[in-house]
Amino acid sequence: MIVSGAVLPIPRANIDTDQIIPAKHLTTIDDEGMGQYAFTGMTGGRDLLAEHPDAVVWVAGENVGCGSSREHAVWAIAGVGIKAVVAPSFARIFHENCYMNGVVPVIVDASLIERFAAAKTITIDVENETVQADDDAPIRFELDPARKPFVLHGGFLKFLNGKIPQIRAWEAARA
Amino acid sequence: MKKSLFDKIWESHVVEELPGGNALIFVDLVVAHEITSPQGINWIAKQFDDRLYDPNRIVSLIDHVAPAKDTATAIQAQLLRSWAKRHKLKFHDIGDNGICHVIVPEKGYVTPGMTIACGDSHTGTLGAFGTFALGIGSTAQAGAMLAQVLILQRPKVMKIEVTGKLAADTTAKDLVLTIIKTIGFKGGTGFALEYTGSAISALSMDERMTLCNMSIEAGATSGLCAPDEKTAAYLAETTLKPTNWTALQADPDAEYDRVVTIDGASVRPVVTWGTNPGENAPIDGEVPHDAAQQSLAYMGLTAGTSMKSIAIDQAFIGSCTNSRIGDLRAAAEVMRGRHVSVPTIITPGSVAVKRQAEREGLHDIFQDAGALWTHSSCGPCLGMSVGVIAPETRVVSSTNRNFPGRMGDGGRVHLASPQVVAASAILGRIASPSDVLAKDAVPA
Repeated sequence: MIVSGAVLPIPRANIDTDQIIPAKHLTTIDDEGMGQYAFTGMTGGRDLLAEHPDAVVWVAGENVGCGSSREHAVWAIAGVGIKAVVAPSFARIFHENCYMNGVVPVIVDASLIERFAAAKTITIDVENETVQADDDAPIRFELDPARKPFVLHGGFLKFLNGKIPQIRAWEAARA
Repeated sequence: MKKSLFDKIWESHVVEELPGGNALIFVDLVVAHEITSPQGINWIAKQFDDRLYDPNRIVSLIDHVAPAKDTATAIQAQLLRSWAKRHKLKFHDIGDNGICHVIVPEKGYVTPGMTIACGDSHTGTLGAFGTFALGIGSTAQAGAMLAQVLILQRPKVMKIEVTGKLAADTTAKDLVLTIIKTIGFKGGTGFALEYTGSAISALSMDERMTLCNMSIEAGATSGLCAPDEKTAAYLAETTLKPTNWTALQADPDAEYDRVVTIDGASVRPVVTWGTNPGENAPIDGEVPHDAAQQSLAYMGLTAGTSMKSIAIDQAFIGSCTNSRIGDLRAAAEVMRGRHVSVPTIITPGSVAVKRQAEREGLHDIFQDAGALWTHSSCGPCLGMSVGVIAPETRVVSSTNRNFPGRMGDGGRVHLASPQVVAASAILGRIASPSDVLAKDAVPA
């Protein structure tokens, strides 16, 4: 799988999930339609989106997605076409939520963020774990091997469903 | 290798080791609330014949918007109700509810050594009982309801030892804000925080919950305290299953990935000035000179401003961080016989906390002081229902997050202990309880 396209550069640190989607929009019973609220909790967030209407890769700063566990934050960015997030570090729950929804979390050294934020195009080879700014040499990054299949193909719940006999056996042995 | 408390809980829940330091971890209890659970409930209903691994291992409740504020939130609540009914789940509806992290221990669902997961980032609160409790997304929660496991990367373990004891004017809230500032707003990322030391032992269970609650605000997966006689005493009142609750302890010379030692006596009452909980300063100090400009601009503050000169527009006491009976008693002590000078909302953490407060007459103290005494919910903390603040208004709040827009678009939040919120509400500016007493002492 190759993710390639324009960049949404918001390379600031500590962009929390309240800024990505304020709690007042968490009133649904499905994961649809969240894109309309993406970045509405961030001053100037919608303007940035409007300036980069074709963006598929969000370049963010340290600790992206900190705060609330709301998976709605990933649904919101996916809803405006974001397929990958490039950042020096991710908050744990947001990181896990990215994998669950096919949004590729790409961790790169903090010193490279400025370059990625300035790129016209970022290209990510998900299988081979490389990320490339414009025509620069591709850079290696690492995906979590246990979660990589889910970001590529989905199927997290099916995977766990298949584990149920093993889990029941484990639980019986524990008791 | 000598094991930490966390190691012991983790290792007793590994169903299968997975690549990359991950494991399939058995979840003893899933807590499901109305905001982040409906999606998973629907996926399981549609894709897996509505099958749950074990309905006895789920507690469901309404807490964030309670009661419903509009049609959309009424639909969320109704979905949870009908799901709980058809699976015969333990369910706490309005009238018998509370904030999930307050009510779950209160109702006796938590015992030491458990693993607990909830689609709510403050689930680490329950680590106060010697559990591994963590927040997860909706999909992970759906997986835990379907198969009773999580895929987790094993966190490193940071021992945070707080030696000596906290000063009389210093609270668990001040301690955790100090810890976040010490290790950094993301300094706990990838770690479970194991709190230990004499100052931790001296904390009540309510206070330990405040401490563990905000571990996530340093990025930590969870926070936990070893069970002791206080844990056992709490559990004796809430659970029907008495046993040797204090048996689960770290080995005496357990190895940790990182050790941080804090002198309890050095911790001072603090208030946040910025837009994350790590951006805090002693209440007797000033907004730091090296403060981030972006945070100052959002907060409408300048570096060097005395914290106690900051005027406030509103005050709030509540949230999973500080809404338990001990918090309300502390606030009432400051408010007794006085009057608030800004709009003030006080929201107990559960119906049981509310009723206990009313038995003690705390509601009269608050209402005589001119504060609004509400029913239990997450309330204004996350700007989702009642009590949202207006842009550029300043609230001093006993909650957990001062993020931009957290309590309402453009609103400015200063986090503090309930005592400091109460004193600030009276004086209309950031204030210590001692300032309130000093004011009283001045002859008219």
